[in-house]
Amino acid sequence: MSTAYPAHFYDGLTSKPKEAFVRLREPDALEVEVSGSNGTNGDRFFWPLEHGGMEWERTVSTLRITFGEYPRRVIISRDKLFIATFVKHMQYAGRRGVYDRVLSLARKGPFFFLLGLIVLIVAGYFWVLPFTAERMALLLPLEVDRQIGNASFGSVMLGLDEDSARSVVLQRFGDELELTDKFDLRFHFVHSDQVNAFAMPGGDIVVFSGIVNGMEHHEQLAALLAHEATHVDERHSMRMMVRQMAGYLSLSMLLGDVNAVVAVLVENADNIRNMSYSRNLETDADQHGMERMAAAGVDPQGMVQLLELLEAETDEVPGALSFLSSHPLTEDRIAKAQANTTKNSGPFSTDPELERLFDSLKAK
Amino acid sequence: MELLTPRKRLSFTGQGADLFAVLIVNWLLTLITLGIYYPWAKARRLQYYYEHTELDAHPFHFHGTGREMFIGFIKAVGLIALVYAVFFGLLRVKEVWAVVLGYALFFGAIIAITPLIIHGSYRYRMGRSSWRGIHFGYRGELKELYSICIRDGLLTLVTFGIYGAWFQMNLRNYVLGHVRYGNSSFQYKGDGTEFFLLNLKGYFLTLFTLGIYGFWWQRDIFNYYVNNLSWNFSEGRRLQFRSTATGGGFFGLIVGNLLLVIFTLGIGFAWAQVRMMRYVMTNVEMVGDADLDAVVQTEQEHKNATADELGDIMDIGIFL
Repeated sequence: MSTAYPAHFYDGLTSKPKEAFVRLREPDALEVEVSGSNGTNGDRFFWPLEHGGMEWERTVSTLRITFGEYPRRVIISRDKLFIATFVKHMQYAGRRGVYDRVLSLARKGPFFFLLGLIVLIVAGYFWVLPFTAERMALLLPLEVDRQIGNASFGSVMLGLDEDSARSVVLQRFGDELELTDKFDLRFHFVHSDQVNAFAMPGGDIVVFSGIVNGMEHHEQLAALLAHEATHVDERHSMRMMVRQMAGYLSLSMLLGDVNAVVAVLVENADNIRNMSYSRNLETDADQHGMERMAAAGVDPQGMVQLLELLEAETDEVPGALSFLSSHPLTEDRIAKAQANTTKNSGPFSTDPELERLFDSLKAK
Repeated sequence: MELLTPRKRLSFTGQGADLFAVLIVNWLLTLITLGIYYPWAKARRLQYYYEHTELDAHPFHFHGTGREMFIGFIKAVGLIALVYAVFFGLLRVKEVWAVVLGYALFFGAIIAITPLIIHGSYRYRMGRSSWRGIHFGYRGELKELYSICIRDGLLTLVTFGIYGAWFQMNLRNYVLGHVRYGNSSFQYKGDGTEFFLLNLKGYFLTLFTLGIYGFWWQRDIFNYYVNNLSWNFSEGRRLQFRSTATGGGFFGLIVGNLLLVIFTLGIGFAWAQVRMMRYVMTNVEMVGDADLDAVVQTEQEHKNATADELGDIMDIGIFL
């Protein structure tokens, strides 16, 4: 004989609440006894707990059980003992959802829960998110790189003075090296004093005369092209873009994109993280560029020489700022490239064809 | 005499810590499901508010489920996507007539959709709300709502917004006047002129007092919303809503909540919400001779949540 607990019963027909007593009946039913009004006999019925039409919800202080088709009959109990007994019964039967578990966790220690959440989110932002973004970027078809590159190439080349005759020579130089089979590389030679070169997604590589004129060996040019070709081949721009988009989107989703202040914060927070990523990409392009050189039969030592040239030409960022620098300190890169030369050891011979092309590029 | 008038009271029994738990779990699940959990989160949140709002010591209940709101959400997203697709499709045509038509259709759709959102949301929210096992309902006609919105919308436009006060009252009178609870119904008797003068006075006094009167302006609006509402039962019995809110009360509530949210970096949001709900509920009472036990179930179930979700997506606060 189980205990009867007081509750309210609403019959779904009128708004009149009725006093009732409820008790759990073995094996799996709820007995509801509604007291009659003004001395009339009450009503008594059983609700099977397994029944699909039976639903229950509890809040901290009330338990609500409903039964049947619309309009549903409702039992509301605020009896602590009954709530505990009923909930326990339902839990033993395995009818407690994941949601209730998480909720009770949050209710027991709200601040620890919040702290744990923050840790989880930070971890997700710094590790899970970049990882997933990278995977997603690599899943995109190569055609996307080509289209994005083509779309922006025109505006990038505006105002740049391309030397089409030398571009043809540079193209032959690049083709000799066979740097990638994923993309068709298109090389462009541009007159400018800047000691620089860059690659667009999809295969356009632009080399400034300023950097070529400073070179002494054709291996340096090979190193430069191999470095840029690595950016293209490993789709660094694409990966960077997807990472930035994912980072920006998730941060603004997290913070609700409330206002301009937050937008600025979000942007900068993401930039700082991405700077160190782009440093890694440069080192990566150095390392893999050297492998490409070795595969083409060019001495990878050229990479070290190229970086030494860069170091001599550029104003170095003070060491204290190196963490935030988008290009790694050239000395760092030289040291890494130097260490890498032993991995790709020769013997290498100078290629007379490359030497000839290199000379005709430089000659004035 | 005052003692003899029976009063019915509303109350809010929610606790900050409990609401916080509900909201933070919602936030977490929405985040890790990339927003898909949103309709379920909304159901949980609404259920918490309803379950902890009591009239005459009996709680309300929200019957909406995440599942049906999700379906509504998908439909709403589809509708928005369709509007955008047509818009951008026409822009691509690159002809003057197509661009003009595109913009006209786009803004036309946004304006035309608003009464639809009000109508659908009321049907859904009321149909999914109950008290003591009896469901609320909304029996307004979409056609009527459109005629109010078109007529008053145009008048508001040509009067540079001044007619907005009358527009708001007409809308309120119509919509709240068609809300039902079983066989009882609600009535709102707002007057555009009164509402306009109230706001005019509030606006200038707030300006002259450098914002301090704002709390009393807020009180006046709140009181105007509550005091003109009544609840009519069979046999001519009725309950009149009364507000006991004060300007000082609103001052304490708003300033307190602001500090609460700022100094906890937003974590105190749940507690601020609870303070607001408590203040609002304890300051609304109903006076009259009606028998709350005698209401009979009459309303049908309504499970289509599309309009409600559409309102959320477009960020239109439609609950008057």
